[in-house]
Amino acid sequence: MKPIIRVNKLTKTFKIYKNHKGFFGAVRNLFDRKFNLIHAVDKISFEIYPGEMVGYIGPNGAGKSTTIKMLTGLLVPTDGEVIVNGYVPWKERKHYVKDIGAVFGQRTTLWWDLPLTDSFDLLRDIYTIPEEIYKHNFYLFKEILALDEFMETPVRSLSLGQRMRADLCAALLHNPSLVFLDEPTIGLDVVAKQRIREFIQYINQERKTTILLTTHDISDVSKLCERVMIIDHGKILFDGKLESLLKEFGGHRLLIVEFAEFYPEPKLADAHIVQRKGDKVIYSFERKVISASKLIHQLSEKYRLIDLEVRDQPIEDTIRQIYEDRLLYNHSYGT
Amino acid sequence: MDVIGNAVILGFYFIAFSFALSQFDGISGWTLGEVAFIWGITEFSFGVMDMLFSGFDYDAFGPMIRQGRFDQLLLRPVNITLQVLGSRFVLRRLGKMLEGLTIFIFGLSQLDIQWTAVKVLYVPILSISQVLFFGSLFIIGATTTFWTKERLEILNIFTYGGSEIMSYPMHIFPRPIRWIFTFLVPAIFLSYFPAVYILEKSDPLNAPRFVSFIAPLVAGGVMFLALRFWRFGIKNYQSTGS
Repeated sequence: MKPIIRVNKLTKTFKIYKNHKGFFGAVRNLFDRKFNLIHAVDKISFEIYPGEMVGYIGPNGAGKSTTIKMLTGLLVPTDGEVIVNGYVPWKERKHYVKDIGAVFGQRTTLWWDLPLTDSFDLLRDIYTIPEEIYKHNFYLFKEILALDEFMETPVRSLSLGQRMRADLCAALLHNPSLVFLDEPTIGLDVVAKQRIREFIQYINQERKTTILLTTHDISDVSKLCERVMIIDHGKILFDGKLESLLKEFGGHRLLIVEFAEFYPEPKLADAHIVQRKGDKVIYSFERKVISASKLIHQLSEKYRLIDLEVRDQPIEDTIRQIYEDRLLYNHSYGT
Repeated sequence: MDVIGNAVILGFYFIAFSFALSQFDGISGWTLGEVAFIWGITEFSFGVMDMLFSGFDYDAFGPMIRQGRFDQLLLRPVNITLQVLGSRFVLRRLGKMLEGLTIFIFGLSQLDIQWTAVKVLYVPILSISQVLFFGSLFIIGATTTFWTKERLEILNIFTYGGSEIMSYPMHIFPRPIRWIFTFLVPAIFLSYFPAVYILEKSDPLNAPRFVSFIAPLVAGGVMFLALRFWRFGIKNYQSTGS
């Protein structure tokens, strides 16, 4: 199978100008400007195949949005190659964007002052969507995303959750083969998130639409994507299955113990106490160092216990730890 | 109301000027009617341009760049220049057009032009050329915001200043200003030289006769360069954070 997205040594460097102050500074700015070079995206390479749903994650300012903006043809790279759907996005922009969809969670692509229906009508004309395809998609998406209640509302009066659902619908009306979703769940409550995730899943599974999803919310990725790419400081640190990432770094487990009586220092050799509240103590231990059963055995030999619970570390914590401790650096993983 | 108000305010400007001029014997050999002729046509063309190209006006285009709304246009499968053109249409500029037209007609009433077929044809061609010319300047101004993100006031010298200077017979200006508006911003080919031909004025600048007829060429050339610069600017668009 041929990849739908092929990215080779893609680089984007921003010049951040330092302005001189004052009137003479303004004049000087015209001739002599100092700048810093920021390598927002630094020689990244990857391929994405038709039908995949890939989570593209990383901390703030890692280069996620810059990558997406180059892939959608908004930004022209400083260096490197991108071929998407057979096009170089920024060179053949007009043809290229006909077959892609994009949602930028931070801002709408709809017309601010127009009611939603008018926005959709305009999109139908702009993308010259055949009537039957438009109708079919429109009624289907309207139902899944529950757009009916605010169909006549101008976009500026929509709530964030409503707007995001409307934007998703708008990005998919023309049956694109590939969709870029940049933070589609940002700032949304649990219910709205769930609805949007279900819709994304539907599009990917039923329509076989390829989806590249960037997000802050790791639960988006863990619920939707098999494959993740982690970017930080403009470099891709990991590209593979989420499972294998968690197996490697998600070694921490928690053991929650309720003691029958108060012990001043219920210490264990292979686990350390992360929290303690009266008779309830939470231990953290590494799967590789000691098994849960051994640990429980040690505990019950020394102390009287009422209740026990073993928990895996939440994925969010694992990923945060990967970011913070920069665990993927100097690691042979990924690309 | 807006339209009429606009026209009246702008009209006063010309009326004040004409009172001043009536105290003298015209300016440098040009009568009030003759000045009204180029003033009117320039004002009219600028009004038309301002209506058609207002998407490129800094007031519309600057915020579009700074707020990253330009992204939205780039995502649509439609020519980007057309989208910016269509992004705003300001009917209010009708006032400037009306005012220009009135002054132009006033000029005609004062003049006894020896009309020929070529002259009759050349007047609308000249106006269209001026529209393109001013439009190019707007496009160039808008393009600079890809780098500066802010308004470059200095460019107003060429757009608004240009239209102002084109309203007068240009031989009255000192050489350095004339030089700028001949070689840097070739405004002189879009008002003074064509007017010399249509009004059959003697030209103290002693330019060859054909320069009276190159207005469409100059306008087309400037538009071509402006669009090249615009394309180059889009490649340097940096969008906004996240």
